[in-house]
Order: sequence, then structure tokens, then C-alpha cells
Amino acid sequence: MKNSWRIAVREFRERIGTRSFILLSILGPIIVLGLVYVLFAIGGQSKQHWNVLVADKYSILDNKIMAQEDRSVTYFFANDYIETDDFQLGKKYQKYDALLEVNEKVLSNKTSFVFFREKPSLRMQTRVQYQFERRLEEVMVKEFTKLSVKEFRQIKQPINVEFRDVTDPEGIVSNVSGWAGFFFGTLIFVFIFLFGMTILRSVTREKTNRIVEVLLASVSPNQLMVGKIVGIGLSAFLQFVIWIALIGFGLYFMREALFPDMLDAAKMNVHELTLNANDVSYAENYFAAREYNEFVDLIYKQVQYTNTISFFILFFIAGYLFYGAVFAALGATMGSESDGQQFVIPLIIVLCLALYAGYYVLNYPEGELTSLFHYMPFTAPVVVMVRLFQGYYVAGNVYEIYMTLLVLIASALGMLAIASRLYKNGILQFGHRLKIKHFFKWMKNT
Amino acid sequence: MLELRNISKSFYRKEALNEVSLKINKGEIFGLLGPNGAGKTTLIRVINRIVEPDRGSVWFDGNLMVERDLEHIGYLPEERGLYRNMTVEKHALFLARLRGLSKKDANMKIDYWFDRFGVNDWRKKRIEELSKGMAQKVQFICAVLHDPKLLILDEPFSGFDPVNVELIKGELAEMRAVGKTIVLSTHNMNSVEEICDRVALIHNAKRIANGSVSELQNQRKMGLYAVRFQGSMISFVNALWIGFEVVDKDILGDDRFEVQLKMRRDSTFEDLLKVLIGQVKIEAAWEVRPSMQDVFIDLVQPKEDRDEE
Repeated sequence: MKNSWRIAVREFRERIGTRSFILLSILGPIIVLGLVYVLFAIGGQSKQHWNVLVADKYSILDNKIMAQEDRSVTYFFANDYIETDDFQLGKKYQKYDALLEVNEKVLSNKTSFVFFREKPSLRMQTRVQYQFERRLEEVMVKEFTKLSVKEFRQIKQPINVEFRDVTDPEGIVSNVSGWAGFFFGTLIFVFIFLFGMTILRSVTREKTNRIVEVLLASVSPNQLMVGKIVGIGLSAFLQFVIWIALIGFGLYFMREALFPDMLDAAKMNVHELTLNANDVSYAENYFAAREYNEFVDLIYKQVQYTNTISFFILFFIAGYLFYGAVFAALGATMGSESDGQQFVIPLIIVLCLALYAGYYVLNYPEGELTSLFHYMPFTAPVVVMVRLFQGYYVAGNVYEIYMTLLVLIASALGMLAIASRLYKNGILQFGHRLKIKHFFKWMKNT
Repeated sequence: MLELRNISKSFYRKEALNEVSLKINKGEIFGLLGPNGAGKTTLIRVINRIVEPDRGSVWFDGNLMVERDLEHIGYLPEERGLYRNMTVEKHALFLARLRGLSKKDANMKIDYWFDRFGVNDWRKKRIEELSKGMAQKVQFICAVLHDPKLLILDEPFSGFDPVNVELIKGELAEMRAVGKTIVLSTHNMNSVEEICDRVALIHNAKRIANGSVSELQNQRKMGLYAVRFQGSMISFVNALWIGFEVVDKDILGDDRFEVQLKMRRDSTFEDLLKVLIGQVKIEAAWEVRPSMQDVFIDLVQPKEDRDEE
């Protein structure tokens, strides 16, 4: 055990001292933040155009939303109630991208639904919500108060506009939180792949330069393998923490410096808002900031940190051990550093399958394969992350996450046992060309 | 010190060791000889607990060997390597700690051995910056750093330059003098003759010979004698008459010859000297003992087999 720890510490120090580790620690978050910036600041300026049919049976909006025409959205009005099924399939509705439902209670319950055919960008959602909100404010001021619009805006409550897929009007399928879960699941697999390959290279390098025989005279193959997996895992974890810290700080910095939320109570300048209400570029900036801040809110506020981080760490460790053992065994059975690369490809395919499983569960939470993907150790970490963020594990089925964790830990231990045997029998074999039969041969005792 | 009892080991039907037994005494240099693929490295790996034997047992200091005993063994494998991007000092410290030394003791030993081998100026350098000779010194230091009771060296002289070979030989002699036991696996028969007290020969997974160097040489003696003289070859042959048979001769120049002879009937070495004195000027005469090279070849491939080929 002591020697496994010494091996782990050596591996850890070697990794964190390398230029690639330092570069990846800094460049990784910068690239992620850069992409986020590009996504929100530039990406949203695409010229997507939306035709929105407003079903306003009681003419609450009086057949108008915008004082000026918006290049991105055109509103059409129907003073009738329209079923979502009719909207989805009806010939006459096919030219509309979305149905904005304005029911008679909108002024009291402040809730409305938008049923879309194709999921709009967050910015488009914000745009529709913003414009609808402005119009409702005008109606409310006119109907119920003697206040000016400006005064009303200072005391108003936000209006809840829910965007739903017209094929899923109950809103069962994926939501933004699910995507956040998919993002975290993907992050687990990116780290598993990057550091799994590091394990593989480290093992084959020790084989190639023959230091392994010196080590094996002091430690057992099992201790050596476990030490290596743990040491590289610790460096992966450290890098992950650095990423999270830098990305977290960067998101906060961008919120403060690049995307200040003009509707944030602390910073709101109502006068400025009113003055600029019809300024297109001002509105664009506002949409971008709103969209960005919604994203940041999701990360900072909607994620239940204690719970999520605990499970994230547990599944990260169990998933890493599971795949790490496979990479270590593969490295130990290779005849040389360049040998056996053909066996990395199936591993990459399995990792891609795991990502697909996450995507599948995101879109088909009740799909036939969902349970299978949920419990299968190859795919469990990403699927659990998606479901965790979707809020799936509530009172009745919270046991499922523990069951999956148990299955994954048991599988990781089983994989470590298999890998240990392959490692033991393969680590001192040199110069051969790795074939499938070697795995079966070395799985047996000598 | 170390005893191997009936060690057998097979790798997937291929027999690597078959009932090999050895006894190695404290304070001796023991040579482990054998052709390539004979099973020497497997035997060494069994001693180091890198490979588990299928049958048989290893005894260390009178007790059945356990994992802790590895702390008293130093090992320099044939295919040896170092972590290229570690510094010399950190590398030595890492391996010493794996062998059970405390950090303080390890640093003291590092200072001692680095001084002794002149590695001090290189201690902060990365291994990849070292010359091959310097790296070899570091490898040897790493094997002896923890002051092992038993040192196992697999082909220790391969790849070493002559200066380092002499340096290592000197160290081995000193270690033997202070009671350390050394097991040496090598193909270099000159070194075996020079430094080994006893040897064992492994061939086709079995131990086929065991004993001191002189015992093995004596067992393989062919009854040959050699004489180096100055004078006429005809006078020499005439003097021998029927009591001796010339087997081989070398012309050394300036009427000097070296001749190998076999005794006939009951003739002795003394008889040989008597008949030659006065006929030629004898420079040297001796009983020819086979070199370890000859012993090795004879044991691994007996003369009958070679004749058949």
C-alpha cells in the first residue's frame, strides 16, 4: 500500500510538472470561456427568422406586440384557441414556427406557453419573451393602473413564458438543465479519455525503457498498476479543479464585465431602459446579456451543488477507475509503444457510445434503452449526470442512483481484477505484436 | 543465505524451470550461467518475487522468503532503464524509498554512493542528459543504495565500458569482503573465472552443473599438458619417443614453440620434464585446464553432439 502510494506520488509529480499539464490547465479554461463568449456575443447574431402565431382568443394584446417591426420575429394573430395537435399537423399552420398561447388568465397568473417546432436559440426565446412582456406591461398599465409604464416596470413581477416542443407539450423531454448534465457527463469522459491515454502511454513507456523490471523487484504488478492509476487520476482531478475554478471565475468576470444584466435589480437603470426600449442594438446587447446570464444562473444557482458535486465526484472516480483499468491493461499488453494502437479505436468507440447514451437519455427519458444505458458501467457516468441535472432522482427513484453507483463500483473493481491479471502477465512480455488471443491467454493464470 | 528448492515454472506449456535447486552461501559471488533462453532470468525473477514459481520454495536467511525480504535484495536486471525525465537524485531517492529506506537514510546513502562513484556533479541533472556510462553508474548505485545483503546482477557488464567494468568488479570484490552475497548472471566467462567463487549452469530449464570454478574445470580436464620451449622441433619430438603424444603445436617464432601433449601408458608430468631437459630449453610447462568457456560449451553442447553436427 505504501509503495502504491509512492508510485502514485511519483506519477502525480511527473504529470503536474510537465509543460502539457500547465498548458492544458490554462488553455483549457481559456478555450472554454472563449467559446462561451463567442457563442453568446457573436453566435446569437445569426439571422434566424421566426414566424410566431399568437393565439389570443380574448384579444388581450389587441393584435399587436411591437410598435416597430422586428427583423427577427414576425407576429401573426388568431383570435381563437388553437390545440397544439392542430398546430403541429394542421396544413394552414405549417408556415408558423411557433405558437404563442395567450390565455384569459395571463394577466393574473402571468404564465404563458410558446410551442415551437424546432428548438429556438436562447436568444430568440429571450427576444420573444422580452417583446411579449413589454406588450403585456402596456396592457396591464392601461387596464389596471394609473401608473406610467416606467413606474410600473419598477414594481412589476416577471412573466413566466415557458417554451415547449409542440410534440411534447407537457414538457417531459429534455430541458436546459439536462444539457448541463450532458455537459458535465461529457467533461467526465473527456478527462477519462485524456488521462486514460496518459495511463496507457506511461505504462508502455515503462515497458519500453525497461524500468518496469526494477520496479517489480520492489512492488507487485498490482501495486504498480493501482499506484499509476491513482497518481494519474489525482493529476486529472487537480486539473479538473483548476478548470472549474478558472471557468467559474471567468464566467463571473464575463457576467460583470462583458454581459452586465441590465434588468438585474442592483444595476437596473429604468430611465435608460425606457429611453432605449426601441433601440435595436441596445436590445441586441440586452438579449445577449440576458441569454448569457440565464446560462450562468443555471450553472451558479439552479445546480444543487452539494448533491450534484458529490455524485459528480463519485461517478468521476468510479468511471475513471473502470476505464483507467482498461487503459492500464491495454498498455501492459502492448509489445512496444507503437503497438496496439488498433485496440484504442474500439475504446474510443465505447466512449462515444457513452456520449450517445447521454444524448439518447436527454431526448428519450422514457426510452427503451434508457434503463440499460443507466445501469451499464460503460455509459452510466454520463447518463447519471444527465438524469441528475434533469431532476430525475426524486423521492421515489432516488435508490436508482445508488444502485447505478454500486453497479459501477463493482464493475470497476471487477475490471481492476481483470486488468491486474492482464497487467501481471503482460507487463514483462516485450517485442510481440498484440493480438486478441493475447488477452485471452494472459487472462488465465500462467 | 539463499536456497532454492525444486523450483519449477512454466509459461503456458513452455517449461522455463524444471526442479532447479541451488544453495548460495553468505559472502560468495555466485555465477549463474547458461545459454540464452535457458531459464536464468526466470530464476532471477523467481528470487525477486517478480514471478511466482509453480512449485518449489525460496529460502532467505534460513526462512521461507517473504515480501519484506525484498528490502534486503538489490537487483540490476539485464534490460535496465531509468525514468528519463527525472533528476538523478530524485530517481535514486524514489527507488531507495521503494526499497524501504527512510528519507533521511536514503539521502545519506545517496551522498555516500554519489561521492564514491563521482556522480555528485550530476545529481541535479535529468537522466536524459547523462552519458551512457554515467547512466550505468546510476543504475548500479540504485541497485546497491539500500545496502542489500544479497545483490543480484543480470549481465552487469553488458554495455559497460572497460573503465566501468573494472570499477564494478572492484566494488563487487569489496562487497564480498564485507560479507555481502552476490549472484551474477553473465555470458562473460572471463569475468566468471576472475570473480566467481561458485557457479551453476542452467540449460533447457534444468540445472546441469554446480560447483566451484576449479571443480568444474577439473571435472572437464582432458589430460592435456603444455610445454613452451626454445630449440628444434625435431629434437623435441625425438625426445618424447612413445611415452607422449603431440596433440597440437603453435610456432611462436625465433625457434620458439608451444606444444600440447597427452600422456601415454603410465607416463607422468615429471617423466615429461625428465625426457625434455637437455634436449630443448624449456620456458614453461603446465597442466592444461579447460577455460570456463570450454566448460560452458562442453556442458551445453557435449562433444558427441558437436561431432554429430
